Amino acid sequence: MAQAFPYTYYACNCFDSNTSGKRAAAVLQEAADEDEGTFDPRSPRANYQLYPLEHLLYCEDCQQIRCPRCQIEETLNWYCPSCLFEVPSSVVKSDGNRCNRSCFSCPLCTSPMQTFSLDPTGESGPPFILECQYCRWSTVEIGIEFEKGQGISAQLARIGNGGKPLPSHKERDKERERRKELEARKRDGRELFSPSTETTHTDKDEGPPSHDDLFASLSAFYKSQVESQTSASPFSSHDINFSSPSAYSRIMNLYSTSGPKKKQRPKPTAMREAASALEGLTLHDPSADTAAIERLKRDGWASTISPAQKRAQPNPSVRFTSDLRPLATLLCTKRSKRCRSCRQILTKPEAKITSTRYKIKLLALNHIPRLSIRALASDTPVPGSSRPPAKVFDYNALKPGIPTHFLFHMSNPLFDPIKVTLATPSTTPGKVQSRVTILCPQFDVGANTDIWDDALNMPAKRGSLLSDQAPQIEAGKIWDRGRNWTSVAVEIVPGFLDESARVEAETPGRGGPLEEDDDVLEIPVFVRIEYEADTGADERGLVDSKGGKGEKEKREEAFWTVVGVGRIKGS
Amino acid sequence: MSASGERKVSASLGRSVRGTTPRLADLASTPETPRTPTLGRSVSSLFGSPGGSFRTEDEYVVIEVGSRYLRGGFPGESTPRCTLPYDPENQRRVGDYRQWDPDYAQKRRRPKKGQEWGQEYELYRMDLTKVDLRVVEDKFERMMREVYNKYFVLDTKPRRILLALPPKMPHPLMSTLLDVLFGSFQAPSITLMSSPILSTVAAGLRSALVVDIGWAETLVTAVYEFREVHEQRTVRAGRLLSEEMAKVLNAAQVEQLGYVEDDDTSFEEAEEVLSRVAWCKPKPRSNRRTLYFPARTSPILEEFEDAVETPEPTVTIPFPKASPPAEVTIPFATLAKPAEAALFATETALSEFDDHELPLHHLIYRALLSLPVDVRRVCMSRIVITGGVSAMPGLKSRILAELEALVQTKGWDPVRNYGTASARHEQILRQKMEALELRKQEGEDKVPESLDPDNPLPAAHRPQDVWHHEAGVEREKTRAGPPPESLVGGVVRGVETLGPWAGASLVAQQRIRGIVEIDRERYLQHGLQGASKDKEVSVVPQRQSMGPGVRGGAGDRASWTLGVWA
Ligand SMILES: [Zn+2]
Ligand SMILES: [Zn+2]
Ligand SMILES: [Zn+2]
Ligand SMILES: [Zn+2]
Repeated sequence: MAQAFPYTYYACNCFDSNTSGKRAAAVLQEAADEDEGTFDPRSPRANYQLYPLEHLLYCEDCQQIRCPRCQIEETLNWYCPSCLFEVPSSVVKSDGNRCNRSCFSCPLCTSPMQTFSLDPTGESGPPFILECQYCRWSTVEIGIEFEKGQGISAQLARIGNGGKPLPSHKERDKERERRKELEARKRDGRELFSPSTETTHTDKDEGPPSHDDLFASLSAFYKSQVESQTSASPFSSHDINFSSPSAYSRIMNLYSTSGPKKKQRPKPTAMREAASALEGLTLHDPSADTAAIERLKRDGWASTISPAQKRAQPNPSVRFTSDLRPLATLLCTKRSKRCRSCRQILTKPEAKITSTRYKIKLLALNHIPRLSIRALASDTPVPGSSRPPAKVFDYNALKPGIPTHFLFHMSNPLFDPIKVTLATPSTTPGKVQSRVTILCPQFDVGANTDIWDDALNMPAKRGSLLSDQAPQIEAGKIWDRGRNWTSVAVEIVPGFLDESARVEAETPGRGGPLEEDDDVLEIPVFVRIEYEADTGADERGLVDSKGGKGEKEKREEAFWTVVGVGRIKGS
Repeated sequence: MSASGERKVSASLGRSVRGTTPRLADLASTPETPRTPTLGRSVSSLFGSPGGSFRTEDEYVVIEVGSRYLRGGFPGESTPRCTLPYDPENQRRVGDYRQWDPDYAQKRRRPKKGQEWGQEYELYRMDLTKVDLRVVEDKFERMMREVYNKYFVLDTKPRRILLALPPKMPHPLMSTLLDVLFGSFQAPSITLMSSPILSTVAAGLRSALVVDIGWAETLVTAVYEFREVHEQRTVRAGRLLSEEMAKVLNAAQVEQLGYVEDDDTSFEEAEEVLSRVAWCKPKPRSNRRTLYFPARTSPILEEFEDAVETPEPTVTIPFPKASPPAEVTIPFATLAKPAEAALFATETALSEFDDHELPLHHLIYRALLSLPVDVRRVCMSRIVITGGVSAMPGLKSRILAELEALVQTKGWDPVRNYGTASARHEQILRQKMEALELRKQEGEDKVPESLDPDNPLPAAHRPQDVWHHEAGVEREKTRAGPPPESLVGGVVRGVETLGPWAGASLVAQQRIRGIVEIDRERYLQHGLQGASKDKEVSVVPQRQSMGPGVRGGAGDRASWTLGVWA
């Protein structure tokens, strides 16, 4: 379920004033061109513009709502969400932004994994394995056991699936150099005199080079090409600053800084392509294809992994369950957020990992009035009558064609009274057209004054100020009002689901068969608020609510909201 | 391409080959021919980035933006930190948690009306008539935020971006992506590199025929010395394949479970089956005339065709989201059918295809055919097959075998009239004369045998002593000629690549600057319009007098170009 009905989403204005200035004009023009300028909650863009109020921040300098898109985030610290260990920034990148201790999640189901001892003596000694707490997949299935119960990450980095040791980067480089030399000797015909003949066997045992091997070989190859390039033209070495772009780029021929000067230099040796497996060249081998097909045929569906499981793997090109690796837990961060346009800090959490508190947190809900809707059940119990209380209104079964009354409830977090204007299209956009009438679209909402004021001036209960009159559904009149809230009645006639086909006939493209969520009744509501705030006084209005001390400044805010009323029942 | 055109190109490219280092200057300053005539756009590296001082402390992130997946990571790493699909579930409103709702997750997703198969799973398509760029921007922005905040989690230091893009991306689409990267992610500069070039780098090559079997299309790009010199495309790629797989699965379900209204195979299911158990048959025996890969072919390769296995091998595929959940057992051979139909279209005569729907092997053959003869020699021995679909077991072998067969039967005469012996002799004669003329044009320049069409595969016969007089690793650096392995040409040969992202990672690791480097401030001021209009510089004569690489005074450092995307 999207959200439980009823709900309200707020649209951030940053979508109208695009981030990059040069396109803003075009965007505004487009907005003006759209008929009536009504916000369409069903447009594909709406999903990116709408947020629950709780998710939005507020920039006091810009006096604007700030959604994730118009914020800039800054990482304060890194930690493992599983072991809560704080990771110093210096190793975050080299550890691949993952926990380097023993936190892993399951490559099949992503649940957390635990270290277990397989010690037959029951002494919790070696060997250890990682096992998924949920689906019971374990490293036994890929032939991996650990000698120690701690520091699994470091151990895993040295063990390949099936238990064979994985070389480190350095060892890999060393081995490559050794083999290159061997190969060179072979070519020179010195092979017979070479004492080291044992290597040919191990070469065959290892099978085709892994993705990492190949990458390392290619990387070393390009590096050696760069180096041979510089050493090949010793006379012009003063010309080639090793770290200058010209050296590298000329070598790669991707970017040329060659000028007439170049003609006077000795010609550098030609760059060439990789010529052997040790340099990263891999010729297509049909037998690998054949082997994979054979394996699919033999082991079937269960031996393969799903696309999502693949993408989560360190090497996303793996295919079979036997290739799976446990996934080290991704680190989390604590971040502060700034306003994109003025850089003012909007939120800043406390640095301590275990703390969930914030030093600064400018939430939109403290600055923006909250609009909500609820059903005004027609059978509200009349005081004193013996009728049973209203049954719970079913927001998931709105009755098509039946005028139903709801209340828009607007509460004001500000310390100044506000004037509110609401506007909605008379029929909702979308395939199912419902009619909407706000009986009193313009009204005032009282200030969020100190609770003591409330206690002194108002009735003791936090409730209606109109308690002596029975609420009326009457055009131009509010329904009810409290200290810092006002409610107005709305009449909604939910549309017919099966009418969609008729609509399609009239306005092609608008109707047609219903799809996911087409039966959801959502009303775009444009909210405009006006109020007078003290200039120079604290923005939060911590000043005496009666005001009058400083000068007043007129302020205005306007934004779109989308009110989700419920789901229309099929007839 | 006309014969005379081919000659000219061949001459201009050939000249560059015959020097020691093929330099951009050789190609760009040939006044009489545009440098990359077959592509119709030139990549003028001369007027590339202004080359501000290169600082080693500059740090990069490496991003590949495909139409279905986004990959992001760091230079020097072999795999990206994240590979993210443009899943419609990630495109819902904040606070919409229905994908975690078990009831919802049990159901098949139905495609939206009026949308093509899998369209909801795309970030973009090259045909902008069906794309709302503002939605592309929204999607891309949200996804990049996930990349930065979840997978990169960097400190606040600004990072340059090396961005791998398909060549010929339309400008409005490029602007949309760049707007987001410059605007929301504060990149100080973005270097653009085209994915075929990067696939070439990640294969260890400098020239290649890159066959990128992607989502919407298969793009064949001839890369010569790191430059795109020709490209051709067909719609036979991932989307068609996925639709074919859905057909196969629908048929199997109807047959075994009965027809259920409105419960067709979903896009996800078809994709999952494709990625897990689909495969591609080797070339059918009936069409075989010769043995392919005589040395390497394993006997099993032909088994599927020849031996009828009993019982017939099958694969049981679960459909937990069908109503009711079910399993379907499909003959293993059936799982090879989608590739057959979508990529090779073996049932249809060649004459019935439009140019944009050629079967893969014919597309590759035609691309090779339209290359200058010496470029073709190099490229045909460096066929690099990449793209999401290329991982399907058997596919690469099949493509190479089909291509080999085409080359064997048709040769390289565009007219295809040499069923007769005389035509064949004529062809040989023509090649000989072409080669002689090239040599004449070169004057004293020595012709490396490898690139001489008369003298194929010189490796075994090359005088070894030229570079074998010195042993050890040191020799590598000082010897004059390249090793014979890097001179192979004239035979069909497949070379594996680690793919565009890995190529980009290698390039960024070696700190090689690209042709197209876009500075943030300049972009924010002028957008793509700010790119130098002089990109077709090779045909502007006045540039000659200034010499290649020299442009005006220091003030002109500001100019930049869009290279292959111009
Ligand atoms: Zn915003
Ligand atoms: Zn941890
Ligand atoms: Zn699990
Ligand atoms: Zn601000």
